[in-house]
Amino acid sequence: MINIDNYAYLSKLKKTDPMQKLLFALLTLGVCLWANSIAISVLVLFIMGWVTVCRGGTPPALFMKLLLVPMSFLVIGVLTIAVNASDNPGVFIFSVYAAGTHIGVSLAGIHNAVRLFFKALGAVSCLYYLSLSTPMVDLLGALRRLKVPKLLVELMGLIYRFIFVLLETADTMHTAQDSRLGYSSLSSGYRSLGALASTLFIRAYKRSDELYTALEARGYDGELNVLEEPFNVRWTGYAAAVLVNLALILAALLMPQLTGGLL
Amino acid sequence: MDENILEVRDLHYTYADGTQALKGVTLDIKRGQTTAILGGNGAGKSTLFLNLNGILKPLSGLVLLDGKPLDYSRSGLKELRRRVGIVFQDPDNQLFSASVYQDISFGVVNMKLPEEEVRRRVEEAMKRTGTLHLKDKPTHFLSFGQKKRVAIAGVLAMEPEVLVLDEPTAGLDPLGVSEIMKLLKEAQEEMGISVVLSTHDIDIVPLYCSYCYVMDGGQVVLRGTPKEVFSEAGKIRSVHLRLPRVGHLMEILKDKDDFEFTETAVTISEARKALKQWREAGARTRRVYRE
Repeated sequence: MINIDNYAYLSKLKKTDPMQKLLFALLTLGVCLWANSIAISVLVLFIMGWVTVCRGGTPPALFMKLLLVPMSFLVIGVLTIAVNASDNPGVFIFSVYAAGTHIGVSLAGIHNAVRLFFKALGAVSCLYYLSLSTPMVDLLGALRRLKVPKLLVELMGLIYRFIFVLLETADTMHTAQDSRLGYSSLSSGYRSLGALASTLFIRAYKRSDELYTALEARGYDGELNVLEEPFNVRWTGYAAAVLVNLALILAALLMPQLTGGLL
Repeated sequence: MDENILEVRDLHYTYADGTQALKGVTLDIKRGQTTAILGGNGAGKSTLFLNLNGILKPLSGLVLLDGKPLDYSRSGLKELRRRVGIVFQDPDNQLFSASVYQDISFGVVNMKLPEEEVRRRVEEAMKRTGTLHLKDKPTHFLSFGQKKRVAIAGVLAMEPEVLVLDEPTAGLDPLGVSEIMKLLKEAQEEMGISVVLSTHDIDIVPLYCSYCYVMDGGQVVLRGTPKEVFSEAGKIRSVHLRLPRVGHLMEILKDKDDFEFTETAVTISEARKALKQWREAGARTRRVYRE
């Protein structure tokens, strides 16, 4: 998670209007889910990969590696769809007889599974594009402009900011315990971890108190109002996002006629 | 205009758990100068600071800003916090936003100024604190020293009349310390801000502060210019503090090695002057002796 965030700050697309990136990612995500077609999903995957790697400058190896993250979960999910049970062994390409029924893999099942596999991958690639090109801060700004409830956006911002502080504190404490042999055996490890968790909780509580004091000292009155840096808003960006998706929709509508419904 | 921007009169403060943190503190903060509050851990410095901009309300006693007692009403507090800004010791407790720019803008936005004015002040504060190049970096990428600067910028952007800093030099490397102190000196001279700071870094006190108070157990036990305060070596040591290193050296030279100095020296330049005087005086006596 932390790594993705670092890459977002390094991306060449960081300076692009976050609203535009959000629109592009969500529209494409929507189209990918709606089209429910292997060809469109693969297309989306390539478009997002191209934009992220070639326009954003994210290392291609990183993008590939990130795509592998949902893989294990995806493969298991897809297998359960590909494998079916039926009384009629004729529908299966390959089947075994067990527990009074035929369990096997049918052509339709494989088709379904492959379609789902690419659909999920395409959808994930849309989100990777967004998170690899847009730092959280910019994304929160876009949400604020979209009139997402203030409380929610503020909460997201604070959580995001203090996750790093919390991790750092936990890490320091863990190192300090480890250097005093706190994790030398299983039982002492459990004890140390328990102590770490409870201390971390107390620290976090204390810190929130101190944060509140510091905010109050700067005139906090219940709302975290800040000024954002302006982005160059270009309508061409929005137009491109819409056009690409119109093309995708068109392709999705024409695809069954061109490929005979296979893809 | 009054000579003192802030006056504290017989201030008492007790925390909810019964700890008596302040037991009758009286002090004056001079306008346009840097005042140091010294004291060991738990002497009551931080509690005093929180009383200066109304975060804590004293049990008894008064804080006067520009000769007028603090107004603890909602609007009064708002005005007070615009005029008296606090920079806290741990910048991680102060920086709430992951964006440097947004964090610095927070206090100014709360002042309900027009947007151009907010932007101007934020830019200016970033220039002043040397954080302009950090604008696009997230807060959690910054080093401790950089966070400290951003925290100071966030308060400076509000252009307060009094800047209160709790341990501004704690945890910084020597270069970082002198840079922060120079930055504060510049802000004080160019913006006319009165600075109040607490520190354990005794050596910087005679260099940057024009007046100091020594606190112990919730009371002021010593006051005066750094020279006056550090000439009370015994009292300074009794409250868990020490003399500046140079002052300590001069004390040893005087007490143990029979050097004769006319006045106390606590900075390098003062010590240099005193030693030169001593040499000349010695040369004169030798000349007299030879003749």
